[in-house]
Amino acid sequence: MIDSLSKQYEIEDKGNRLFKIRINQNEFLRTINFIGSSSNFITLSQIACSDWIEDEVFILNYILTTDRRDKNLMIELEISREQSKLPTLLHIFPQAEVMERDLHEMYGIDFIGNLTLYDFALEDWNEIPPLRREFDTLAYVNEHFEFRAGREDNKDVKAETKRRRAEAKKLKAKKEAKK
Amino acid sequence: MEEGFIDYQKVLNNEEHAIKSTQSVIQKAVDWFRSKSMFVLAYGTGCGAIEMPPTFTSRYDIERIGVVGVATPRQADILIVSGYCSYKTLKRVIRSYEQMNEPKYVIALGSCTINGGMYWDSYNTIKKLEDYIPVDMYVNGCMPRPESLIEGFVKLQSNIKDAKREAGYIKYRENNLFYKDNQKKIFGDNIEPTYEANFAGMNI
Repeated sequence: MIDSLSKQYEIEDKGNRLFKIRINQNEFLRTINFIGSSSNFITLSQIACSDWIEDEVFILNYILTTDRRDKNLMIELEISREQSKLPTLLHIFPQAEVMERDLHEMYGIDFIGNLTLYDFALEDWNEIPPLRREFDTLAYVNEHFEFRAGREDNKDVKAETKRRRAEAKKLKAKKEAKK
Repeated sequence: MEEGFIDYQKVLNNEEHAIKSTQSVIQKAVDWFRSKSMFVLAYGTGCGAIEMPPTFTSRYDIERIGVVGVATPRQADILIVSGYCSYKTLKRVIRSYEQMNEPKYVIALGSCTINGGMYWDSYNTIKKLEDYIPVDMYVNGCMPRPESLIEGFVKLQSNIKDAKREAGYIKYRENNLFYKDNQKKIFGDNIEPTYEANFAGMNI
């Protein structure tokens, strides 16, 4: 099946039975329609999104799986962060409903045609969608919550781990030098 | 002693838990009976819920100290909030708590209910449960083992029996505005109508 698709699209073999296609937003619906209806990639297992704020784009990965669950196909497309709109895939993959609803809540992406884009995990959320990178989580938490006293002497976990590892390394080197 | 069990009888018979308060004899008897019959609504809010099945089933068998699970808040005496509470969950927790009949107690399980735990910087998880509903017993740990939970129950039983501390439901009744204000801070005006009966001004 991958062979027949590779006649039409440029398919990158990522190894471990994973293949990838990069497409534009314009050919998105046509491509997914074609793959969904004429290949054995019949299951939409995930829609993953990452926020590339420096390039002002969201990169979405639609991950499809074959009926035998032996191959995965990633369909990658970039959309603008400002006007993040995409047509829904409900008519091809009904399970996209929850995934799109989740993406709408966490990144603010509009899926045109999906009527369930209301509150999901977050209720009454009036801020920027929280997984957008411009959302400052720590500032929000400091503003909305009062911390219990006793965390003031908290150490930075990463710095502390680094320091301890360096110390352990030194000790080990000393022991070896003694030997 | 077999690995994993605490000597809960020792905790029960400890001198420091002897009745010292100024309860009347009848009240003492009532409190004693109350402490030996705890009906628990185990509300699985977070990962702590996974410690509940072994606590209630044959491995740890908490029924031997008088703790039994029930299906609905209206039959329960004790609410276990097991782990982190998101806004959405907290709303349901408060609703369940308000549906429970008095006397009612709350056991909060895990670090997340105490200070946010590993979710201390999460935008969607509350940091101190006692700001929103009164907590009678905190059991810390991430996650606390069933032994810790049992110890929490035993300690709560002794608190109930000896009337050592003011029970949470009395605080909730008397300082209701404090709790409602805190709830309002995070829910805004979308707060659920209260279940607490207000008989003042009602024509019965």
